[in-house]
Amino acid sequence: MKKIEAVIQPHKLDQVKEALKAIGVDGMTISEVRGHGRQKGHKEVYRGMEYDVDLLPKVKLELVIPDNRLDEITRTLVAAARTGKIGDGKVFVYDVADAIRIRNDDTGEAAL
Amino acid sequence: MLSHSPGPDAGEDVLAGRTARVDDCVKGAASAFLSGPGLPPFTIAAVGGYGRSELFPHSDVDVLVAVQSEEDLAAIKEPLAGFIRKLWDQGLRLSQSTRTIAECCRLQDQNVELNISLLDLRFLYGDLNLFNDLQERAAQFYKRSGEKLAQALAELTRARHAKYNETIYHLEPNIKETPGGLRDLQFLRWLTQLIPAHEAIRESLAGLGAARSLLFALRVFLHEKSGRDNNLLSFEMQDDAARDLAGGLDPGEWMRFYFYCARDVWQAAARALEYTESLDSSLLRHFRDRRSRLSTTEYTVSRNRIFLRNIAESTYSPSSVLRLFTFVARHGIRLSWDAQRRLRVEAAGLAGKFAASPATWTSWNDLLSQPHAGLALREMQEAGILTASIPEWRSIDSLVVRDFYHRYTVDEHTLIAVEVIDRLATRENGTSKRLQELLREVEDIAILRFALLLHDIGKGTKPGDHVTGSLETALAIAARIGMPRSHEEIALLLIEHHLDLSSVMNGRDLADPATARYLASRARTLEYLRYLTLLTYADISAVNPTAMTPWRFEQLWRAYGAGQQQLTRELESDRIHDVQALPPEDRTPEVAKFLEGFPTRYLRTHTREEIARHQSLVRRAEEYGAAVEVTQQKGSFLATVLANDRPGLFASICGALASFGLNIVKAEAFANASGLALDQFRFTDPLHTLELNPTETDHLRKIVERVVLGAEDVKVLLKRRRQPPRQGHAARLAPIVRFNNEVSGVATLVEFVGEDRPGLLYDLAAAFSEAGCDIELVLIDTEAQKAIDVFYVTRAGAKLAGALEEQLKWSLTQAASSVNDARGFPA
Repeated sequence: MKKIEAVIQPHKLDQVKEALKAIGVDGMTISEVRGHGRQKGHKEVYRGMEYDVDLLPKVKLELVIPDNRLDEITRTLVAAARTGKIGDGKVFVYDVADAIRIRNDDTGEAAL
Repeated sequence: MLSHSPGPDAGEDVLAGRTARVDDCVKGAASAFLSGPGLPPFTIAAVGGYGRSELFPHSDVDVLVAVQSEEDLAAIKEPLAGFIRKLWDQGLRLSQSTRTIAECCRLQDQNVELNISLLDLRFLYGDLNLFNDLQERAAQFYKRSGEKLAQALAELTRARHAKYNETIYHLEPNIKETPGGLRDLQFLRWLTQLIPAHEAIRESLAGLGAARSLLFALRVFLHEKSGRDNNLLSFEMQDDAARDLAGGLDPGEWMRFYFYCARDVWQAAARALEYTESLDSSLLRHFRDRRSRLSTTEYTVSRNRIFLRNIAESTYSPSSVLRLFTFVARHGIRLSWDAQRRLRVEAAGLAGKFAASPATWTSWNDLLSQPHAGLALREMQEAGILTASIPEWRSIDSLVVRDFYHRYTVDEHTLIAVEVIDRLATRENGTSKRLQELLREVEDIAILRFALLLHDIGKGTKPGDHVTGSLETALAIAARIGMPRSHEEIALLLIEHHLDLSSVMNGRDLADPATARYLASRARTLEYLRYLTLLTYADISAVNPTAMTPWRFEQLWRAYGAGQQQLTRELESDRIHDVQALPPEDRTPEVAKFLEGFPTRYLRTHTREEIARHQSLVRRAEEYGAAVEVTQQKGSFLATVLANDRPGLFASICGALASFGLNIVKAEAFANASGLALDQFRFTDPLHTLELNPTETDHLRKIVERVVLGAEDVKVLLKRRRQPPRQGHAARLAPIVRFNNEVSGVATLVEFVGEDRPGLLYDLAAAFSEAGCDIELVLIDTEAQKAIDVFYVTRAGAKLAGALEEQLKWSLTQAASSVNDARGFPA
């Protein structure tokens, strides 16, 4: 199993969710996060006051998937999240040792 | 309403039955494990709900095992363990405590609940004499410590209310813990035992029979449906309860009935809390009593509450009623229970008075302008006055609209939203400084609160299309109270677009110029955008206590920033080229010629009447070369100047006003395609020259006209007059000058922020003139001591070059930093 962590632009969330749903991926965890990559470190000025804008609002999705769907799911996610501009975000992939469904003790891919 | 209530004994029968069955279990277990020889004297008593014989289907079973001494405690420990195990094995959730009698009758500062639980003692098993001894000593303990316990109980109750945000209006209330629920009923009951001399509490409790029946029946229902100690009236449970307990009534209507009952309990508990806290003789009480100096001939302020000296006077007319609540809003002091009660009695009659002769916008404006308007509106709601004065409010009173995110009923959400603005207005700790500053830039906070008050009223008047419903209702109310058209327009725009910023925050790329253009088109002007941002902030914050996360705030601020920059950009670029936006009867060649070339902002920020007025000034300007009008506004003056545009025109008008010691707080200046300049200045009169000498207004008008026509030299005028003394400040604001050549195709945007003072604008405009620059468009704003000025500037018809920018930056900074000598001349 693999865990995908994707940090994306907030306005792309609905599109990504719809795209994943269309290929049968429903289960995910979503958090509101703040961060930066190359978009960091600029200042904004408002009414003469400067504000550091180095942590921009983003959305993080986490999902655990079977190994054999990794390629399909990451491609779908990236395509839906992409705008082509700096700040689009990143996808990280991790190995997952095990998964357990709390309700009935299902383990492994059966728990997904 | 009472027809929706289950029968008076419906819940009680179940409770009595379960109590009896549990009694049998407890006595049986005690008989089996606690009846042998060698045991010390002990008594087993039911306490808490069990002691009251109010054992709900899945409640804990609270018992007290009392002995005489610590040695007896040790001796009974082992047989007690068997007794407890037996009851657990029988499926009872036993919650037992084992104490000496002395311990029970000692004040437990860290465990007030133990002291309180003994109020509901009931003998079950063991030594009856010991039980009687315990009961007698407990009675003496309560006599000694009743007041202190009552105050401790009041503190616990306050803490519990605070945990639920001091409101009964949760969409899915916990009927035991939420304000207005079972705990509040118990609180009242305990108070009657702790401070028996206070008859009023007993009377309140006696009047809560219907509420008690409902809550009891509801809790039994929830326990039986869930199969556990569940007290949450979730949406699913509401549907089931409406069907099973109220004969298939609509769940929304049934919940309204629930809230009406909860409100009765809550108001009784609030009254009891007020009384209990009045027993407090601490420093806090003395502090609260200091506010009694706010008393007037109409109202007495005592113990931080308002009492009515004469109910008939206070409820004589709609305006007298609003005057009372304006007092609440001004000082942030709540009504006493007594005042609330009296107003509730008068509410029906007042509804008739409001219908016959509605309170005017002047009265509402006064109330809604005060720092604690949200509190006042809440007090009006509690007293039934909000519905009396705005009958449409009834449609959202206790209205449940099921929503994953909203936690409160629609009316409660609305009141919380207004209170969010209160907290910004009073600069409460923890509120956003950025938004506090934004609120100070808003011209009329009353309009913002008015829009917030009605933004969701459509959820009651037109469910399914609440924005339209809110607009229709707001329009009707605005007409009824005689709201000025200009105010009405802003309020309606806010209501119409109150979801726009939220939707942009969530669904659009905030870095995309198309998003900025969209926001600018929806908000239309910078002023509206400020209002809309604040309204959106309040709306989201009132959804639930954690809705306005720092993340969401940043998104909102970014959206505001995008819209603000776009609207600033459009000041210069977006011009009127035709008059199709006007009503057909206004599309004359004269009007077209007048408007062509003005920024589109002009049409958005001026009413039809104002535009017509300006046109009449055009005729005078054509005849005499210039036309000047000076009118008095609320707290300030407005000077309108029409003249042929020329270099230095703006600076000369600023100088003329400065020569009278007047302080410009807002200004706009632009020219149309025919070269006619329309300059408007809002100014204050710190020396009260115009106020004290009415003829000076006409003198000012003539002087400005002469200056514009070149018949007076503004430098000479300035030399003749002494500048007003500078206001004292804690710290000076260093001037900031920024240039931007990207926003406009033809002019350079110069943004100035610095410390405001009389004559500043003249000095800045003069610096532009001396550098050979033409001011194409100006938008000036002032926020407290800060001047925020936007100029679109050209030189020889083109944008400014780099070297000139540097020179101008120095000149403007010097102009802003100049200190005047005693005669008012630069040092």
